[in-house]
Amino acid sequence: MLIGLAMLGGGFGAGVFGSLLGLGGGTLLVPLLTLGFGLPLREAVGVSLIAVIVTSSASASVFLQRHAANLRLGMTLELFTAIGAVAGGVIAFAVDQRILAGLFALLLTYVGVSMLIRRGTDSAAAEPAHETTNVEGAGAPPPPRSRGWTAELIDRLSGQGYRVHRLGIGFVGSVGAGIVSALLGIGGGLVKVPVMHLAMGVPLRVATATSNLMMGITASASAIIYLLRGGIDPYVAALTAIGVFLGASLGSRVVHRIDLRILRLLFTVVLLYTAFQMLRRATG
Amino acid sequence: MTTGGFTAADPGGPAAAGRAADPTGDRLDFAIARLLSIGTCTGIALLAIGFLFMVLAGRSPLEPHAFLHASRTPGELLAGDPEGVLWLGLLVLIATPSARVVASLIGYLRTGERGMVAVSVAILVVVLAGVIVGVALGETAG
Repeated sequence: MLIGLAMLGGGFGAGVFGSLLGLGGGTLLVPLLTLGFGLPLREAVGVSLIAVIVTSSASASVFLQRHAANLRLGMTLELFTAIGAVAGGVIAFAVDQRILAGLFALLLTYVGVSMLIRRGTDSAAAEPAHETTNVEGAGAPPPPRSRGWTAELIDRLSGQGYRVHRLGIGFVGSVGAGIVSALLGIGGGLVKVPVMHLAMGVPLRVATATSNLMMGITASASAIIYLLRGGIDPYVAALTAIGVFLGASLGSRVVHRIDLRILRLLFTVVLLYTAFQMLRRATG
Repeated sequence: MTTGGFTAADPGGPAAAGRAADPTGDRLDFAIARLLSIGTCTGIALLAIGFLFMVLAGRSPLEPHAFLHASRTPGELLAGDPEGVLWLGLLVLIATPSARVVASLIGYLRTGERGMVAVSVAILVVVLAGVIVGVALGETAG
């Protein structure tokens, strides 16, 4: 009973802080379940994928109602993230868990350092100024609309005020995001958002919302493999999913009332320490 | 960086740059949003009920658990077995994004967007491939 409540609380904490800091639940949940509750890493990843599905479905619902996410673009790219996720789900059971721990240590270090660099500024995604400056074609004549199915596809996938480009990079990046998501139990936004925003010319806010939408099908494609291969404990998954759901709901309501700069610094330390622990597990 | 929270980065807002210009797309967005909400709330509610059953049965997490057998779940559910309710809740959550794709498929079929129909079908095929791969590889130690 106590351990159950502790897991519920852990999921809640991961949901709250993930929401406040703009991190997917998995980044915090996997180390918590592995280092805190002694779950095998692969099982923690499986449980985390369920939490990713919950947060994606709940947040995508909000984003779609606000017309913040680009459904056509999201669906086209998630075809490729899903392919990557199925491949990643297979790879995850084929590789040694120490390799996964090493990869997770790298992920945590990257996220920790990124947060350190961003410290002192508000969330980049919350800054409207970034949006307009990155809209492709803003202030410039629109690219020629031409010819063939590629141009037609780009027309379809573009949104009001921006035109997507470099679809090939988007497809390849999406496959990579799917593999990373399935291996580490994260949403894959770390890959998808930069690819969409920097390479494809999608405004940051749209890229973030669309990435959230895509996470659901990406995580479910690999969660099915984890589930059928016995990699998900239903009790642990239930407790953490409920906790993350409640925590993310609360976090999204209080995010504007909290000074995130100190919280970010604190979490950078926690993430780097966790990365060190994961690295020890990988090498030990 | 993307968010796992519901509105952490708050990319929404009235002037969201990705706003669809077509009313049909708007309607589809709303329908899918509703479907996602219903799926998530149903799944979470089932998990909460299963959790209560587990507590009442004196079961603890981290105990060795049974693998998923879809054929067992209806029977377990009728018998009030906590694990059956948990499995059902998890399946509802996992199926919700696929249900969203099915809803999109229906929407795009109605509007005659053949390209998006093809994309929707392809996504469902990939998810189905995941199921087949999972079944074919079978259970393994977690």
